[in-house]
This record gives sequence, C-alpha cells and structure tokens, in this order.
Amino acid sequence: MKNEITLQTRREFLRTTVLGSSLSWTVPAFLANTLTALHSEAADSATQIVTGSDATILVVLQMAGGNDGLNTVVPYANDFYHRARPHLGLSGDKLIKLNDELAFNPALSGFKSLHDAGQLAVVQGVGYPNPSRSHFRSTEIWQTASASDRSEPYGWLGRYFDNACAGSDPTAGIAIGGQLPQAFFAKHPRGICLNNPQNYRFLSKGAGTEESYRKLNDTEMAGIPAEDDNSGGSIGSLAAGMPMQGGSAVDFISRTAMDAQMSSDKIRDIAAKVQTQAAYPGSQLGTSLKLVAKLIGGGLPTRVYYVSQGGYDTHTNQIGAQARLLKDLGDATQAFVQDMKAQGNLPRVLVMTFSEFGRRVSENASGGTDHGAAAPLFIVGNRVKAGLLGKHPSLAPQDLHQGDLKYNLDFRNVYAGVLENWLKTKSLPILGKAFEPLPVV
Amino acid sequence: MLKPLPVRDWNYAMAAHLLNRAGFGGPPREIEALADRGPESAVNFVVDYESIPDPTPNPAWAKPDPDRLKKIREVNQRGTPEEKKQLQREENQLQRDRLMELRGWWLQRMAVGPRPFQEKMVLFWHGHFATSAEKVRNAYYLWRQNELFRRLATQNWQDLLLEAGKDPAMLVWLDQAQSSRQHPNENFAREVMELFALGEGHYSERDVTEAARALTGWTLDRAREKFVYRPQIHDAGPKTFLGRTGNWSGEDVIEQIIAQPQSARFITGKLWNYFAGQPPSEELNTGLAAVFRASGGHFKPLLRTMFRSEEFYQASVLRNQVKSPVQWLVGSVRALECPLPPPLVSCGMIRQLGQDLFAPPNVKGWDGGTSWITTNTLLARYNDAESLVQGTLPPLGAGDLGGKTKTAGGGKKALRFLQRVRMGGVEVGKILTPEERANQSLLVVSLERRLFQSPLKGDQKRALLDFLASRTHLNDDDIQAAIRLMMSTPQYQVT
Repeated sequence: MKNEITLQTRREFLRTTVLGSSLSWTVPAFLANTLTALHSEAADSATQIVTGSDATILVVLQMAGGNDGLNTVVPYANDFYHRARPHLGLSGDKLIKLNDELAFNPALSGFKSLHDAGQLAVVQGVGYPNPSRSHFRSTEIWQTASASDRSEPYGWLGRYFDNACAGSDPTAGIAIGGQLPQAFFAKHPRGICLNNPQNYRFLSKGAGTEESYRKLNDTEMAGIPAEDDNSGGSIGSLAAGMPMQGGSAVDFISRTAMDAQMSSDKIRDIAAKVQTQAAYPGSQLGTSLKLVAKLIGGGLPTRVYYVSQGGYDTHTNQIGAQARLLKDLGDATQAFVQDMKAQGNLPRVLVMTFSEFGRRVSENASGGTDHGAAAPLFIVGNRVKAGLLGKHPSLAPQDLHQGDLKYNLDFRNVYAGVLENWLKTKSLPILGKAFEPLPVV
Repeated sequence: MLKPLPVRDWNYAMAAHLLNRAGFGGPPREIEALADRGPESAVNFVVDYESIPDPTPNPAWAKPDPDRLKKIREVNQRGTPEEKKQLQREENQLQRDRLMELRGWWLQRMAVGPRPFQEKMVLFWHGHFATSAEKVRNAYYLWRQNELFRRLATQNWQDLLLEAGKDPAMLVWLDQAQSSRQHPNENFAREVMELFALGEGHYSERDVTEAARALTGWTLDRAREKFVYRPQIHDAGPKTFLGRTGNWSGEDVIEQIIAQPQSARFITGKLWNYFAGQPPSEELNTGLAAVFRASGGHFKPLLRTMFRSEEFYQASVLRNQVKSPVQWLVGSVRALECPLPPPLVSCGMIRQLGQDLFAPPNVKGWDGGTSWITTNTLLARYNDAESLVQGTLPPLGAGDLGGKTKTAGGGKKALRFLQRVRMGGVEVGKILTPEERANQSLLVVSLERRLFQSPLKGDQKRALLDFLASRTHLNDDDIQAAIRLMMSTPQYQVT
C-alpha cells in the first residue's frame, strides 16, 4: 500500500485543494509535489500530475459539418480553382491576402489579426487515407484517430486521459455542449461535459433537499471503505469513471458522486466569480469559449477543453452561410486569445480546429459544395509555429481523387505534434502507431 | 457448476433480482407474486413468455412504402434542384419523426408491455448488433430489425446471425449492400467474426478477405426495401475460410462461424455479462457454452439454466450491476407505477444519460457497466429523478432533444415543443398506504422495499429521516421529495 493514497486522503486532498472550497484557485506547488511523492509510480511513468497553474492546455474546436477549405484559405491565383467554381470562386480586393497565391476568406478578419501577431498556424492539406464522405464516419475517424477501415471504441483525447492523466481529478477534460464528444470516450472516462454551468449541479425546488442530497452522497455516510480495504485502490483508480477493480459498483458510484459534488461547486463558483475581459460574439461558439476562458481563469486543472461550432454542411447557398460562420469563428477565437492574454494564460493555451472533411473542388448546381476530403486546419497560440505549414494540395484535375483534394498531411501527424510538443506526452500509446509529430510549436 | 439455487434460498430479494435482471423490475406486488411461485416456476414464467399474448400494434408506417420510393426516384431523375432539396428536407423530417415514434413505441413496450424479458433480450441484441440511425437513416429498416430481434429473441443462434446479416438495416450499416464481386467490402465480413460471433484473435485477416468474397451477392433491393441475393455479383470461386476450402456462399460463412467452438463461448459469455453484470470466469463460461452446445445453439435452455443457477444469485452478483439509462428510466417508471414521460422527454433523458436508442456510439455498441457513470451523467440521473417523481420538465438542452451539431439550430423546435409537454409524476396515494404516509419510519421502510429491495446504510437512513422530520406535517410534495432523494443516491444507480 506504500504507493497508494487512501480514499480518505484523496477526499481531503480534493476538498482542500483542486476542487475544494479553498480560497486559492490554484494548487500550490508543494501540494503537487507532495502528491507526486505520494504516488511515485505516477512520477516514474509517463503519468502527469496536474498542477493547475502551469500545465499546458489544449482547446479543440470542432467545425462540424465539413468546412469548405478552399473558400477558407483561398487559392485565389489558381486557374483550376476559378474554373471549378465559376459562381463560388472568391476573388477581388476583399480577400485577405497571405501571399501571392493564398488568401483568407474576407470574413476571417479575426484570423488575420492573429496571423499578423504571429499567433496562428494554417496547416494545409490535412486528411487521411481512403477518406470517408459520410459525416458520421469521418467525424468518428477524426475523433478516434482510427484508420478509415477500422473502428476504435475510444477517442484520441480519451486515450490521452487514459495514458497520460492517471491520477488527475475528474475534470481532466471538459467539453462544452450537451453530449460528450466521441474524442473523449475512454476506458476510464475523465471528461465531463456541460452546457450550462447552472445545470451541472443537483437541482432542487424544495428547501433542505440539497442539504440532504449532500449527506446521502457523503462517502463516509454511505459507508464507503477508506483505509485497510482492497476496494480503495490507488489514486489512479479512484478517479471518476474508473472500473471497479474489486470494489463494488456502489463504491465506484459513491466516489464519482463525491467528484460530481465538488466539481459542480467549483465550476459554478468560477463561472459566477471569474470575469472575462474580451468582447465575444453572442453566438454559441462565443458563449462556449467565454466559459472556457472563465474555467481556465478560475484555475481548473483541466488539460483539454472541447468546443464545437455547427453549420458547415453548405450544400446550398454557401457564400453567405460560410461567411457568417467564419466571421463568428475568427471573432470568437480572437476574443478568446485576448482574454487569455489578459489573464496571463496565453503561453499555456493552444487552440486547434478540425472539421470532418473539406468539400468537393467543383461547386454544385445549388450554389454550394458537396462532401470532399482534405482541408486546412488552424492552430492558435502565442507559442505556435506561425504561418503556413505543409503544402497546399494540387487543384489540377489529374491530381484529384474522385473530384476531391488529396491530403498531404495525415491529421494524426498533427495530433502527434500536439501530444508530443504541446501536451508533452508520448503519442505512440495514444495513436497506436508511430506518426511523425508535426512541429506545431 | 450451474447447480440450481436451493428452494429454501428463494425469497423476495431473489425474486426482485430475477425481475430486475431478466426484465426491468416492477412494483412490490409483482416481486411478491414471483417470490410466491418458487424459483422453478418463477424462471419458467419469465422465460416462457410466449404464453402471454402481446397485442402491441405496430407503428402505422411499419411496412414497405413503394409509392414514396417511386416519388423519390421521379424527383431525383426529373426534378429541379429546388424540388430535390425540398423532397430531401421532407424525407429527413419524416425519418426523424418516425424514429422518435419508434423509440417511444419500444420504450413503452418495455415499461408497460406484458413481456419485459423479451424486450430485455431485444435490448441485448440491439446493443450486440449495434446498428445506428445515424447511418441507416430509415425508420422502417430499424423497426424491422427491432422486430427481428423480438421474433428470434430467445430462439436459435445460427438462425439469428443469418437473419441479422440479411437484415436491411445491417446491409446498410456495415456496407454489405455495396459489396460486389468486383469490389468486395470487408466491413460486415470482419464484424460478424470480431464483434458478433467469435471475438478478436479467433480468425485471420485472410478469413476476413475470403468471407467478404463469399458474402458477395447479399445485397439490398432498395425498391422493395428488402434483402435480395444477386448471383451476378457473387464471387463463386473457391475460398479458404476458417481452414476449409470450397465455393462458399454467405450462408456457408455463417454456418462455419457457428460451427467454431469459440462461437458458443463468445455469445454465452456476453449474455452472462449482460444479465449477471460481470464477465463469467473461464470455468463458468465453459459450463455455459456446454449447455448451449448441448441444446443445439438454442437460447432458452441456456437462459433457464442461468436464471436458475446459484452463480446468478451469489452475493457478488446481487445489486452490483450499474443500471443502464434505459434500465434506470423504465425500471423507475415500473417501480413507481408512474407514466413513462412522452417520447421526446424519455428519449432526451436516456440520450443525456448516454444511451440513445437506435444510435449506439459505434459498431461495438455501449460499453455498459461503470462507463454509464460520469460526474455529469450522475448529476443528470439525480435531476431526472426529480422530473419523474415530481412531474416537472427535466433540464434538457437542444442537443439532448435530437439536435444535430452539423446543422445549426437543430433541436430548437423540439425545445419549443417541450414547453407544451405534460409530465405525470408519482401519485403518492397509489404507492403508499395511509399508515405509511403518516409514519416516517414505515414510509422509509416501504420505499426501501420498493426502490432498493434492501435497506439503506444507517447514516443515510438517518439523513433521510432528518429530512422528513424537518417537515412539520408530511404532505405529498415532501414524500415526493423523499422519493427523489432516495433515487439520488449511489445505491439507486445499481440493480
């Protein structure tokens, strides 16, 4: 039992530090060190002990529906582009030019500022072999980092939690939204999702009900064994979502109930107290990123946040619809970066976008584009390797695959870069295969 | 090994265990009736459900619709882009509405239908052959598959595996409909071995390729909305599959898979895990597989043996299974004798809790067990309990109500509709006697028997009695709050 922290210890630890109602938002370094010392197994392995105040943070931003990459980062000087898109092709002074060949969509003024400040990387031509044109399947591939002919039960971020976050608190990952994204699915789930911090709590109408709920879910009251009992495992096996490992299902749920109680108190507290500085758009994405900014500012030890923006499935009347979305994307991201800067957290934060696929090179007959393949993604932060990364895929008809752009860079190389260079963890056990990490920072 | 539980050990708690696991639980009088039967008769009553008529009518649209398909074809051939788009919108809406109706129809069968064990088996097969509306997008196909699982719920394994493979929803789900001699698709060929019948490590990559060739010709007649065998796209050449060479057909593939001794171990182990809440030991799995093989791959003798066995009633199995969201919802409604919320709300709840019917997360289905419990699903269970008991609307977001992230604004309509929904709530006078309502100790004992079939821990009981004692005069609202509190405990999440 030398390397194990009893439930009692953990309870106290959580209560007084990471999630408890202590006055300090962040965990003092000595406590982090104590925890590390108490759990030397964790210190010896690739396991990361979160400290809340200095660990890097990844914000994953899903552009759901399949964003048209060619009208986002526009190859405005390319004849093939204009031939394939007589109506949708973008040209003229409004384009935000990056160089003699490429320009941002005019709506991406937010990205332009970030680009000029050296805080934005455009990773070009990202995709994967044998691309699927199904939203469902291709999203699944991106979320699980699987090969297109294999199904993986767990998400890539879930595998990150499983492999690298043992011993951390139940909020290793927070998804803003109603459903836990597949990327968070894990053998031992450590992610939570919340729409509205006001609902991430025990809701009750009657007086005294909440107090009784707290008593009924108190692990001591429920008689959950603490010391000298096999069901109280090491701290790693106590985190929310961990399997029973010899304990009973009720013991497991009791521990999760305690985590729920404390994380809910903490998150609501932060959401109410922490002020944000920047002007976010009133959109869903803006609201989500604002909440993320508050949670980061409040010192949660969360390593991964997940936000999502929908509506990119532009089969018809794409021009206006995509412009509105990109404007929202650029403005919300820019506001978030300003907020992080004001908080002093910008050096810790990296935002990465993804979309399940790009769209067909040729426009369709309804003023839109159909499901395609490779597309650019964006990485934002002040330590990012700014500018254009990778190679733009060729638009020459002979270079297309069934009318779609061919990828130059597997998205798993980007994931590997983020895991290795930003989250500082080995990507092999998470991606299941060696991918050359794209140097993103 | 698998000896019957002695009659003397049979009691209210054991009967409740059988009713909970081989069904969705029930109110005390149902448990008592099962307890009075004794173990032999109780198990037979559950397993031999055919003698109980089930008059549930099918949804009105649950049949092929050639006229609609003809219209779609015509518009797609001759329509303007606007007409095509309009039709697509209508079709999407139609399928969404039907799917919601289908989910409600099935949940209602589980909650008030006369054959809960059959429905529990249908739920097992749905999780096993995990087929999702996200790809199939056809409510009729999904209903058909659901009916197939019901019809063959406890019949023969080979028959079920064969029919499940030829089922339209499956043909679409695992791409068999697109497979042909020129381009054999390996999706179904792989999963039928890996996920449905053998498990990883019991076949080779070569077996997958060869099975895919043998299965060509199995496809979907989209106009008639049913399976069709097309000899012209079948690869009739010789294949070597699981060690044998011949001009195998799809049927041969299924037959040879079932002939593997591993196939009996695999499915009996998975069934035990579903009902007992934990995987069987090697020894127990061997015993279960032997019973299954001895009966020629029929499920009933196996299930009867399982539900009669001492192993099924041992202490480590009792009250040690995390309720699935469906079990939680349907079980609560049955135990509390209250109405199932309208489909939109019921489906929103179980979706929020992680089990969207007809939309399992992937081809492996739901992981189950402790994976149902996260901090947010636990809080959601506690809050949904308030809605069920007090008849208030649960805190559901647009996403819980079926909104899709890829289309902006999805679910808002449902959110508006939600405002008009009427919830039932628990009628206190129906489930408690006047004496129980007047006496706090009797009240708690009665509710423990109804909700847990076992007493709460001492400190928890005190907390509950303190809560009741803080009320000067117990009214129905207070009793509802007490029921909700009892459901907001770790103990209520297991069965």
